[in-house]
Parts: sequence; C-alpha cells; structure tokens
Amino acid sequence: MTNPQPLCAGFTDPVHDAQRAFRRALDGLAHPGRPYVLGSAIVGLKLGPAMGHLLLALTDDDTPVWWQKNGSSECEWLRFHTGGRPAPHPRDASFAVLTDAEAMPLLSTFALGSPEAPEKSATLLIEVPSLEAGAAIELRGPGIQESQTVRIAGLADGFWAQWQDNHAAFPQGVDIIFTCADKALGLPRTTRVRRLEGL
Amino acid sequence: MTDNPINAQTAPRQRWLSVLARATRAELEQAVATLAPLEPIEHLRSAESGMVMLRARVGGTGDAFNLGEASLTRCALRVGASALGVGYALGRDRRKAELIAVLDALLQDSARQTLILNTVVAPLANQQALKRDAVGRSAATSKVEFFTFVRGAT
Repeated sequence: MTNPQPLCAGFTDPVHDAQRAFRRALDGLAHPGRPYVLGSAIVGLKLGPAMGHLLLALTDDDTPVWWQKNGSSECEWLRFHTGGRPAPHPRDASFAVLTDAEAMPLLSTFALGSPEAPEKSATLLIEVPSLEAGAAIELRGPGIQESQTVRIAGLADGFWAQWQDNHAAFPQGVDIIFTCADKALGLPRTTRVRRLEGL
Repeated sequence: MTDNPINAQTAPRQRWLSVLARATRAELEQAVATLAPLEPIEHLRSAESGMVMLRARVGGTGDAFNLGEASLTRCALRVGASALGVGYALGRDRRKAELIAVLDALLQDSARQTLILNTVVAPLANQQALKRDAVGRSAATSKVEFFTFVRGAT
C-alpha cells in the first residue's frame, strides 16, 4: 500500500480536548479581538495547534471544508478523524482553512447565508503569522465593553475594506477565527472595525 | 489514500478483516502473542464504541430498510512504521478491535503476510466455516415441510 505521508493522530483526550476547543471557539466569538489559548501541538501535523484543534472540534461529515492549499495531507487527516469532506468551491464550504491570508479569495466568494437562513454562512479559519505585529485596528460591537485593539499581521491590503462590506451585510456574512500557533482570536460579523493610523 | 480505492489489496484485506472480526478475543490475544515482540503501537484513533445502522432487504428484492442499530467498536493504529491497520468488530470489546487492527497492520506488511495468513487467518477461517456448517446442520434437522392434503376432491 502506498502511503507516502502517514496520517497523524487527532486529539489525545477526545472528549475533553473537543470540549475545551469548542468552549474556546465560543469564547473567542463572544469576545471579539481577545486571544484565547487553545490546544497543544499535534505531533506531525503541519497546521498550527489552534487550527488543528478547531478543525477537529468543529467539523464533521455535514460540514464541507474548503482548503486554500488543495490536495494536502491535512485534508486526508481531517477526513479520517472527523469525516469533514473537502468542498470543491469556497461557496459550498461551511468552514474554510486559509493558511496564506495575503492570497486568500475575497470574503464575498464564501457562503454568506441568506436573509432567511443567515446561519448557513461560512466560518473562515485563517492562520496568520502574528496576532501582535500587524497594523493596529480598533474593534467595537457586541461582546466588547468599550473598544478592543488588535494587531493582526499578514492580511491583504484590502482586507479591512472587505470586512466593512461583510459587516454591512448583517445578518448575512462570514465569521472569522484567526489562529496563530496555539492562539485563536474571533471576529464575528457583528464587529465594527476602524483603522488606527500611526498608533 | 490511493487513487483507486478498489485495488488489488482490497479483496484479500476484506477477507482477512471479516475472519478476524468473527474471531473471539481470546483467539486474537493468542494470535498476537505468537507474533511478539512487536514494535511500539501508535494509536491514530483509540478504540471507541459507537452504533451502526444495519440495512436489510426483504427477499433480495424491494427497498432497503433500517433493520436496527448494532453497537460497533473501531480502532486505527500503526505498529512501528507499518501501514495503517484498522479494526472493526461488533460489540463493545475495545481490546478486540485493537487486536484486529494490530493484525491488520502486520498483514499489510508483505514480509509477514504469508506467515500470518497461514498461522492465524486460515485456521480461524476453517474453524468458523466448520462452526457455521454445524449450526446449519442442526437447524436443518428442525426443518418442517408444510404440505396440505387436497380436501373435498373426490
């Protein structure tokens, strides 16, 4: 049997790891812009620990996953552990795994839901190089007391303009969880953003 | 894993997995013990129990219907650097699923395959065939032929 890239393991403690990852994802989306630490590294997996744990906790055979890097061993790995099928087109996906944020497709290419069923939209999991070294952005909205400043690195220039359109389309729109190594930071569609120049 | 899921490996593998799944845990323990020492086992999916829906069809025609659910235990692991071994067995015996997966992993190693097929799988298959035959015979003795006398034909 040809097996060039052996599959790696999933959760070490399936029940508790999945519960923890799910809780952190909820917390992250309830408190936009606040980073949550989640999960330890999965041996042999080429995704960050936070990304790996989120995928294992959130996907199943009802949630097609679109991979920016197609045909990867991670795709096989997820199918084996959760049954999450790869989606052929971003529009079909419930979750999208984006590992190169600068080259990602426009937010509007993903499923935005419909006015009757806004929950049928995609959740994007974006791996970024840093959550501390980017341009300062101020977040306001539900789940944020006054305002929250985030510095997400590695995003394309037009990203925040796209995000404003995404926010304006409420109740439709995508939600995002940014991941960097073992940290995850939520950005739900309800969040308003403002660029803080020279901060 | 491969482009063509039904490759030359699939049919023999289905055969040995079905034989192993019908074996008892004691038989499997004994078989694995004869193959010791084994390389360290790496669990990709620890043994876990779940349910499968059994589908059936009346008389070989008609639509399939859900007969009922059965408990099933599955496990996936690698022995050292072997191929992925999987074990599926009815019931909730986690150790049994693990033993099947170990044997499946070793059976995919061409260097050990013939030995294990001859010493483990073939005897188990024989034994299971004999047992099935005996059950078939004992059931056959209780077979009743129904026939009806024609009444009022005179």
